[in-house]
Amino acid sequence: MSNVIGIIRALNSGVKHLAVKRFTLRYPEQKLKFVGDGFQFNPETGVGIAGLRGRHILFHENCTGCQLCSVACEGIAEAISMVKIAETWKHNKKAIMPQIDYGKCVFCGLCVDACPFYALYMTNDYELSSFTKSALIYTPAQLAIKPKISQDVEIKISDRGASHG
Amino acid sequence: MTTQLPPGMHIETVDEKIMTLNVGPQHPGSGHMRLIIKVDGDYIVSCDPDPGYVHRGEEKMAEYRNYIQNIPHLERPVIHDSSNILYPYCLGVEELLGIEVPERAKYIRVIAAELNRCIYILYWLAIYGIFLGHSTMFMWPAGDRELFIDLLEAMSGARVTHAYLVPGGVRNDLPSNFEERCLRQVAYFEKRLKEYEDVFYQNPLLKARTEGSGILSRTDAIRLGTTGSVLRASGVDFDVRKKEPYDVYENLDFQTIVMKEGDSYARSRIPYLEMFESCRIIKDALKKMPKSGSVRTKLKPNPKGGNDEVYRRVESGRGAIGYYIVSNNRPEPYRVKISVGSFRNLICMPYLLKGEKLGNMPAVYWGLNYWPVEADR
Repeated sequence: MSNVIGIIRALNSGVKHLAVKRFTLRYPEQKLKFVGDGFQFNPETGVGIAGLRGRHILFHENCTGCQLCSVACEGIAEAISMVKIAETWKHNKKAIMPQIDYGKCVFCGLCVDACPFYALYMTNDYELSSFTKSALIYTPAQLAIKPKISQDVEIKISDRGASHG
Repeated sequence: MTTQLPPGMHIETVDEKIMTLNVGPQHPGSGHMRLIIKVDGDYIVSCDPDPGYVHRGEEKMAEYRNYIQNIPHLERPVIHDSSNILYPYCLGVEELLGIEVPERAKYIRVIAAELNRCIYILYWLAIYGIFLGHSTMFMWPAGDRELFIDLLEAMSGARVTHAYLVPGGVRNDLPSNFEERCLRQVAYFEKRLKEYEDVFYQNPLLKARTEGSGILSRTDAIRLGTTGSVLRASGVDFDVRKKEPYDVYENLDFQTIVMKEGDSYARSRIPYLEMFESCRIIKDALKKMPKSGSVRTKLKPNPKGGNDEVYRRVESGRGAIGYYIVSNNRPEPYRVKISVGSFRNLICMPYLLKGEKLGNMPAVYWGLNYWPVEADR
């Protein structure tokens, strides 16, 4: 008898969920909203600023070509290589800047922690798929572009359960 | 010719009754490992676990990277419990390098570890459900896990591989509205967790399959050196968080869940009850946490450890994880040895599966909280 009651209780708790909103995020149409503009780092205090660790953004006006990001990446993903750039900056005598291979990058963000000149941050852009391997290698010029993103859905919690939007 | 071949490779003596089955190495459910099972009809005669298919050499790799660069790859063995596997490493390195951790960072680390424990247990529960053919119990935890992933994503910036804990604190401070959001989602999750009781844990079908199967006695659990939920399900009150409190666990209010039965049902229920305790810890830590202050001690660029060695352990989702770190005046550790809960619980498998029905194998196997990638490191 207790078995029958147990099964009825289990079925009942399942049936209740027919009226509950679906939790599923309809991904390509809906995108989750993240905190801030991506992971950043303040070298003065040595503490990061919370944000999603997505694709990087490189500020050419701050990058001195010191290679610390590339050194930090050694032994982790080896995704960063320093390449020559066409533009000339007074503070970047060697004229080199990081180029990131997103086929290798693990998005740990330790390169951002290593940058002492506020030149390398991360952004909320995580959709980096491409048809070729070479398209995943982002040159300094590509890294300087601010990504266009529209992420606005948040988890909503009500009496009828949690749902996205 | 009497060459000694590895288990499972030798030519079997043909027996009319006994048949050998290879479960795995292609994913018996959790990761790549193989169980060589001998069955007599429907009953298991012997079981020989054969791990090692996903060995990555994490310990050797750690000898060639400095203390900070070790962080992203040391969390790889259990990516869905990444804060807990990094925790003892950070504690150990802090002791080696003599780093003081700010008070706020200690609380944040505890919150991250407990959120991550819930993520792990929900993942484990989802697979436990689908192992036993209960597809609702796969969908519900996998969906509710998203609540915690969302919180840790806001905290650390990554969904799964957080790389959030570092020697000296945490990578970044909490986002501005985190506390309110965390309390709201944890409160909803606790309500949700109670629904699991009816649909899964009080379900007569689950009870029929797991109660009384794979019994591990208290003395055997101690003798075999098991840890975590397997040990607590056999009636041993041992939790590293209580017995050797690290960071701020001694200030927080929680209980160790112990059950006496030692069967598969107890082993599956303990992690579930621990999630309630985790929620309690999170709420308590958010209340007691200093509201402002630094969260990370600034390190020297390439910190060196002295001529020293250290062993620190924490309680993870699968039991105690210990790190033994030796340094010899270099920026890289001389040796890193990881002692993981999964590997220590694996030894029970031949004992528990003997005499069990083949259909109950998944319930016993996954109830041991065994994660092959972590065990092989």
